[in-house]
Amino acid sequence: MSYRLDGLVAALLADDGSEAWPGAVPARVENVLGSMPRAARAGVRAAAAAVDAYALLRAGRGMGRLTPQERETVLSSLAARPALLPVLDALKVPVMLAAGTERMLHKEPPARPVLPPPADPPLDCVPSTEWPARATADAVVVGSGAGGAVAARTLARAGMRVLVLEEGRHHTTGDFGRRAPLDRFTELYRDGGGTIALGNPPVVLPVGRAVGGTTVVNSGTCYRTPDHVLERWRDTFGLPLADADAFGAYLDEAERTLQVATQPMDVLGRNGRTALLGAERLGWEAAPLRRNAPGCKGSCQCVVGCPTGAKQSVQLSVLPDACSAGARIVTGAYVRRILVERDRPGGPRACGVAVRRPDGSELEILSPLVVVAAGALNSPPLLRRSGLGGHPRLGRNLAVHPAASVAGRFAEPVTAWQGVLQSVGVEELHGDGILIEATAGPPGMGSFVLPGVGRGLRAELDGANSLATVGAMIADLPSGRVLGARHPLLRYDLAPRDGRRLMRAVTAMGELLFAAGAEEVLTGIAAAPSARTQAELEEKLSRLSARQLHLSAFHPTGTVALGADPQTAPADEHGRLRGVRGVLVADGSALPSCPEVNPQLTIMATSLAVSNGSL
Amino acid sequence: MGARGTAFSEVMAGSVRLAGEREPRPVRLDLDVRADEVLRPMGTTEGRLTGRVRVAGWADDTGIRGELEISPLARRRIRYRVHFTAGGRSCMLDGWKSISPARPVKSMTVLPFVLLEDGEQTGEGTLRFPLATQLLPFLGSFRFPRRTASPSGAVGPGAADPDGLLPPRWDGAAGRTEVWYTTVTDPESGTGLWLHHELVAPADGSGAYAHGWVAQFPGNGQEPVRHARFGPEPWKPAGGQDRADEVSDGARGSGFTSGGIEAVPGRLRGSAGPFSWDLTEQPDGEPLFTFPRWSWRRPLLPAAQIVPAPQATYSGSFTHDGRELRLDDAQGATARIYGHGNARRWAWLHAHLGGGDVLEIVAAVSMRPVLRRLPPLVFLRLRKDGRTWPRRVERAAVGWAGAGRFRADIGLPVWTVTGRSGMRRVKVVVTQPEERTLALDYTDPDGSGAVCRNSETADAHILLERWWGRWRKEAEWSLDGTAHAEVGDR
Repeated sequence: MSYRLDGLVAALLADDGSEAWPGAVPARVENVLGSMPRAARAGVRAAAAAVDAYALLRAGRGMGRLTPQERETVLSSLAARPALLPVLDALKVPVMLAAGTERMLHKEPPARPVLPPPADPPLDCVPSTEWPARATADAVVVGSGAGGAVAARTLARAGMRVLVLEEGRHHTTGDFGRRAPLDRFTELYRDGGGTIALGNPPVVLPVGRAVGGTTVVNSGTCYRTPDHVLERWRDTFGLPLADADAFGAYLDEAERTLQVATQPMDVLGRNGRTALLGAERLGWEAAPLRRNAPGCKGSCQCVVGCPTGAKQSVQLSVLPDACSAGARIVTGAYVRRILVERDRPGGPRACGVAVRRPDGSELEILSPLVVVAAGALNSPPLLRRSGLGGHPRLGRNLAVHPAASVAGRFAEPVTAWQGVLQSVGVEELHGDGILIEATAGPPGMGSFVLPGVGRGLRAELDGANSLATVGAMIADLPSGRVLGARHPLLRYDLAPRDGRRLMRAVTAMGELLFAAGAEEVLTGIAAAPSARTQAELEEKLSRLSARQLHLSAFHPTGTVALGADPQTAPADEHGRLRGVRGVLVADGSALPSCPEVNPQLTIMATSLAVSNGSL
Repeated sequence: MGARGTAFSEVMAGSVRLAGEREPRPVRLDLDVRADEVLRPMGTTEGRLTGRVRVAGWADDTGIRGELEISPLARRRIRYRVHFTAGGRSCMLDGWKSISPARPVKSMTVLPFVLLEDGEQTGEGTLRFPLATQLLPFLGSFRFPRRTASPSGAVGPGAADPDGLLPPRWDGAAGRTEVWYTTVTDPESGTGLWLHHELVAPADGSGAYAHGWVAQFPGNGQEPVRHARFGPEPWKPAGGQDRADEVSDGARGSGFTSGGIEAVPGRLRGSAGPFSWDLTEQPDGEPLFTFPRWSWRRPLLPAAQIVPAPQATYSGSFTHDGRELRLDDAQGATARIYGHGNARRWAWLHAHLGGGDVLEIVAAVSMRPVLRRLPPLVFLRLRKDGRTWPRRVERAAVGWAGAGRFRADIGLPVWTVTGRSGMRRVKVVVTQPEERTLALDYTDPDGSGAVCRNSETADAHILLERWWGRWRKEAEWSLDGTAHAEVGDR
């Protein structure tokens, strides 16, 4: 039985009945929770029940039956206890997402697009319910993201009968334009975007689940793999494919496919301009990012599917080529396991996949080649449940690019959600493993955890258009691992070095915002929510540790790493999984270490190298 | 790969929805499966499919062909690929049962499949094995037959190769005897020929020697039986010091070669006394293991006899005193014996029954203590219509601990064998008239002697009956002077 959240939502948003939109928030929160994993859902409900119980003890009635003033008093007394702040923050995130969306829909309804969305290039998609229970192919690609799409295109162009299996469904640009960002968010992400790596602090790790994988919901930033990373892969991990020239050619091909170009200034938006201004005043190296979105209209909705079709995620760029070369995509196809023939002379050999349809029925596809491209979080469990998870390093070596964000309050409206979502890169500290990127949330979906509860939070929500947000991700040590076979269970223990890097990144972002003219900087840390000067910020941060940050991460890599050393790498230097023949690894999990930049191009180039090498 | 294969039949029924149609059509699959090896539950067995496929109103093909991949545990899959024609178009049914330990019955009985035409899918359906009605017939249909030559005439891999059974078995042990003997009947003159090649390794450890004889049994019964012995010559092992000009190329080690006399695959030649012969042998028919097959592979019995090619034909010349007998596809057979010596008493029959049928009998009393007190053990092999009866030769020899064994009444000039196995019984009466019989002295490796009375122009009467409410005649053969028989005693 679900626990009703009405009272808690009303308390958090200080709903006094003066406006209509807070009343619609509880239903939307329920909607958001419905798409989250069961454990996260239960956690939120338990926290809400605990808050209600506290209200009962203190005021004699549950939250829902208190007056607005009583609610405010109860919440304030709760918020006065520092130990309870993380619990309140966990409750605030879904409520803020829902509140932002309802507020936007009621107060600033999005204008209907003037032009109908462009038609997507055709894809040969078949829902798994319409696919026969038995089929054969020359190659099966598990996953249709950056790695899988490229592998499918390479193999299909070589004349192979290729099937791409995708657990999510196919969303068109037209679909994106018709629905509110939050509705798309819960559908396009695995676990409703609530994937969390356990650790101290926990890290939110959202990954996409749709035809096109995470490229449908990434920010479109396309960095080439840095030379020093390739050098490390070649020299330390023994990867011949990381040769700068050869890999450079693959990167070129990926850039051509995605039409990567520097983002023009016209639709950059004030959020990006603010970051540029701050960097300019500090003399820091900064520029608009190179992106795969020619003709971007600045909808600021990259992370919930580009509604204008400008962002060339792989379902608009790579997969149409693959389909025109004969590849087919089966959607709603959860690969239960890779079929292995263990009695083959010469050792076990993959021979296909067993797939579960949404209705629970199963289908099988026989194929002598299986390309694993289910993403760094899902490839290891797939291999484990296929009986191929014997390598001790499988699932380990998880690097995620942990990221923190900081907001600056400006005197003038910034309206961060008008313009490019991730617009400007500040590379001043990139040599130290810190990459700052001006990143806003989609309309109604501010990702930044605003401070306060009750009236304070309500005021922050009302003043959200004066906030500029920047985020920083750091090059991290591979301190995570993916456990589990049926479902991935993530563990990420932030390394002390990376914690220091993060704190330094927060300081640097504060400096950037103050330089741009921010009146106040919001840290997102409950214990030190804001600072009015750089000195105050640094003084407050000096008393904190990275464990108190709200961390998120978007680039999981390295869990089935390629490498020449059979002891440390589950896959060999050509991308072939060790211990079985006929399995290629061609997604983010193949990267031997953290790529230090947004990884889409790197994953595509690696997949190109692996799939070309298999021909 | 063993010597046995697997054969079984399976029936499945279900439905198929053809492309462009809304309603499914009933489909039924009747399969006969043959594999070249005994099913290996832990491994993968490839089988060939024949049979019939019926799709209501669309296809009915009785000449289907296909492949079956049986791998319930190793690959957890039993895959059917059936090629058939529907309305003149060539189609393939491709599907597999996906074996799941969690649902053993369902996964072993449900066969989802697709229909393909030129690689394009034209239909999809599911077949089910009807457990209630088909399980017992399915289990009862399992056979593990010895593998036979393929229809093209080529001997399949691992199938018994007649030529492979001719090389000497002797391993240098003392007290062994090994025999290659050929008996032929000339269809023109009715003349019977007997070419006996023998290797003896005396029990006292002295040098092995080769010897033998040749005999001619005139068909008219008027002329006497003539014979001549050859040898003894010291036995020279394969690759030894044989004079090259005396031995055919490649013949060394492939059969009997001694003193210019050869009995090697495809060829018999030599001369002895007034006789000289040069015959080519065209082997035919699967080897006939008169004694249990294992006793030839592992010589645990006192001796064992086999007929590598029971349907052989012989061509060439056989000369006696300048009178040449030209043979042209004369029927006969070369038999082989390897063991410790001759029996205490024995009878032997080799009878060509026509139409490819053949009867081989050895009834013998052993020289061994205890065994010598037993009645003759009858080893009877009747190959009729390509099948050999009784299925297991032990059945004829020892029955069920003696009960039901075949019986022999060994005597001269008439000896008989009777027996019953399964739903059949047989009675064989062999007559060796004295004037058509040749008596020869045999010497065992231990130096003891025996007398063999042989006739290659014997008469035989064989009656085969089958039980169907009462004993009814199934076949009857009367051989007049064309049976090859002998009786030996001491």
